Amino acid sequence: MSERNNPLRPYLGTLVGIQNTAQDIKLFQIELNDGQPFDYRPGQFAFVSAFGIGEAPFGLASTAERSPALEFAINRIGTVTDALHSLEPGSTVGVRGPLGNGFPLQDIKGQNVVVLGGGIGGAPLRPVIHTILDHRDDYGRLTILWAARTPSLLIFTDEYDQWAAAPDTELHMTVDEGDGRWTGHVGLITQLLEQVAPSPENAVAIICGPPIMIKFTLLTLEKLKFQPGQMLMTLEAKMKCGIGKCGRCNMGGKFVCVDGPVFWYTEVAGFLESFV
Amino acid sequence: MSESIQTALRTRARELLELGEVSCVVGYERSPRGRVRPAFVYDPADADRLVWDDTCHHNLMVYLHDRKNPPRRGEEIPRVAVVAKPCDVRALNVLLHEGQIAREKVFVIGVACAGMCEESTEELQARCRRCQERVPIFYDTLVGEPPRVAPVDEDWADLAELERLSAAERLAFWAREFDRCIRCYACRQACPGCYCFECMAEQVDPLWVGIAVELPEKAFFHVMRAYHLAGRCVQCNACELACPMHIPLSLLNRKLVKEVEALFGYRAGGDPATPPPLATFRKDEELPL
Amino acid sequence: MKLTRREQLAAWLDALMERATVIAPRQVESELLYRPVAASDEVVFDFQRTAMSPKGYFLPSTEVLLEIEKRGAEVTLDEALPQEEQVLFAIRPCDARGLRVLDALLVEHEPADVYYAGRRHQTTLVGLACPRLWPECFCTSIGGAPDDSSDVDVMLYEVDGGYLVSEVTAKGAALLAGLQAEETDQPAPVSDRDGPSVLVLEAEAWPALFNELYWARFTERCLSCHACTYVCPTCRCFDVRDYTTAAGPNGIRIERLRSWDSCMAAAYRRIAGGHNPRSSKMHRLRNRYYCKFNYCPQDFGAVACVGCGRCIAVCPVGVDIVEMLGDVAALAAARVGEGGADE
Repeated sequence: MSERNNPLRPYLGTLVGIQNTAQDIKLFQIELNDGQPFDYRPGQFAFVSAFGIGEAPFGLASTAERSPALEFAINRIGTVTDALHSLEPGSTVGVRGPLGNGFPLQDIKGQNVVVLGGGIGGAPLRPVIHTILDHRDDYGRLTILWAARTPSLLIFTDEYDQWAAAPDTELHMTVDEGDGRWTGHVGLITQLLEQVAPSPENAVAIICGPPIMIKFTLLTLEKLKFQPGQMLMTLEAKMKCGIGKCGRCNMGGKFVCVDGPVFWYTEVAGFLESFV
Repeated sequence: MSESIQTALRTRARELLELGEVSCVVGYERSPRGRVRPAFVYDPADADRLVWDDTCHHNLMVYLHDRKNPPRRGEEIPRVAVVAKPCDVRALNVLLHEGQIAREKVFVIGVACAGMCEESTEELQARCRRCQERVPIFYDTLVGEPPRVAPVDEDWADLAELERLSAAERLAFWAREFDRCIRCYACRQACPGCYCFECMAEQVDPLWVGIAVELPEKAFFHVMRAYHLAGRCVQCNACELACPMHIPLSLLNRKLVKEVEALFGYRAGGDPATPPPLATFRKDEELPL
Repeated sequence: MKLTRREQLAAWLDALMERATVIAPRQVESELLYRPVAASDEVVFDFQRTAMSPKGYFLPSTEVLLEIEKRGAEVTLDEALPQEEQVLFAIRPCDARGLRVLDALLVEHEPADVYYAGRRHQTTLVGLACPRLWPECFCTSIGGAPDDSSDVDVMLYEVDGGYLVSEVTAKGAALLAGLQAEETDQPAPVSDRDGPSVLVLEAEAWPALFNELYWARFTERCLSCHACTYVCPTCRCFDVRDYTTAAGPNGIRIERLRSWDSCMAAAYRRIAGGHNPRSSKMHRLRNRYYCKFNYCPQDFGAVACVGCGRCIAVCPVGVDIVEMLGDVAALAAARVGEGGADE
């Protein structure tokens, strides 16, 4: 039976590059070994296997346009991520995907986009930013709010200049706690958001980060007069299959793996269970 | 006798709740199917839900682990009353010893116990026939008269047959018993002594036991659980009574109770002054090995 | 229909054992369980209900998904797909219906679970009708029946002198070749449907009750063990993990295992890093019931309960799904009574 027919069987891939991108966070570049079709969209995710330990789901942090390899920003926090962090370029890993629903980037063309990323939550937002920058005329104003607990946890620091320099694009950053050298904003992303106060006019907000950050960001956006139908988020949950079979990742009647991970706030507001 | 204990329990529960001495009485009730099960009474008007008979075998101390945190941050942990047989109070003693429960948070409604019966045969459970303690060793209030029961001597007869077997035969015995274990952990969840936030059987880092429901993993879980209860098991038998496959788990735990008694002259849940031997280091200790 | 005697059935089973794994009720120490049998004299023909449902022969409690070999950077993967033919003998209508529910959950939505689907395909179901409802049973409340033959390939009915044999599917008919039996125009007996019944609230009415205080009270006695989920014919949550089985200078052999997991476990939704959206047992047990009676019907078109009663029989502390269903129906009626349907 081919890999195509068994959704629990991963493709084999080679780790072609690993970069330190923040404290305990590495950017992995993986190329599939046998040229399998892997058409993916921003917002989708894949299970990456560290053979011998297991696999875990990670948001795709790249676009096919910019990168021949699949990129994942992975935080070292559990047994699978610990095993992945110990790999060298040239290692073989497994990839199962693309999974999930992706951001509706076609539907939001012509709108102003506010991107809010907290910590490792910025990973699935990077391909959104790249898509907008690479199709600049298809979208309106781009406002990026980027946050982390400390400066050492900010991800994709080597891209900030590129983002800030793009036409009709603003980049704002904040950390919960500065270090000796941080000269930027100190405070929660919600405080930064209130300061920046992007207009809700013809706008959509896209949020990713820890559940508590998403919750309070939604509330702050509401204060700024954003409607629930203008707020998109990508959620995470413990997953084992990613294909709606293991029963685990449901929030109420919706599975994060197949009905999400991207949801409009209007959908989330109707969930029986809280995502927090 | 059961009648009057039941009446007394209801009266005491009603009083405690009316006076606001406790926020909840944890006891036993009859389910709509007529079987006894744990009950949580919050309202004095519900005190008549409480029952008492010889099928009240659950060790209710297990529910104290759910009450280690206040319902809302900044609030006090509410005080509860627990209906407790002598074996249940031994379990509470272990939890107090181990710093798991604050004594002032538990009001012990001790019950003088004539023993629990097997549900199928209606005979006294083996552990109750052996029981030396018909009245709990401590309580805040006592219900029932000390029953006139002559306990059968503890002769470890249930272990004798196993001890006579060779190691290979004993292994075969346990392989047959664990074969039907489904790793449901009912034994662990019913045991007041098992309260680890993450059980060694479910840890992945370090990995002690895999997820497979196969004999090596099952045997490891059961043997290690018995070891982790050595010097702590009070023989309430909640584990064996909870097991959906009726595996004779008491044989494992009792073997270690016997060993600890022989090595250290110690039984868990008794005298509160004696430190538990397996958690105590003495420089002058010499063990015949 | 055909009429056959027990000895003839036994001889037929013995012949089947030569070409397929025959799984039948067998006494395993204190418990009656569906197990592979080596001879028909191991089969228990007279029984009420086995302790476990036979779902483990389709979604095993432990299963190898992949066999992986790693030699440096070289990795080979082999799927350990199910190979053997199975005959499941004396499956009850409720358990067979449980398989139909699992089909909806695991196969009917793309992508299908190939391991479960393979075992389903390779198994023929020989049903045994229940003459009546057993203690704790409530199949009739949930749209089932003790003599329902919808989900089996062959149905057997106990009658005086033996069994009536009904060919339900072509697969079943093929399996029956070789069974000694005589034609009869005796009709299939209708099982006694007498028994406690409970109103199962329709799926759409459950969301309105999600935040009722009832759930905290009802779930307080739960111990968060896995017994109810493991004995259940329709529960299917699983865990997946890799294990190294052999390591040497020439490489490492790894198995990717799948095992049953339970939504009742405290750590079920705990992620690395510690966040746990269902840290209380109220959340977990409520989720289990909503999964069965609201989420699965809405997402997969099937109520994930067949009324077998095992969860009631097995729960060490008397958590009773029938009691819950009755309470929920009453809560819903009370809301309607108040005229306050805000959903």
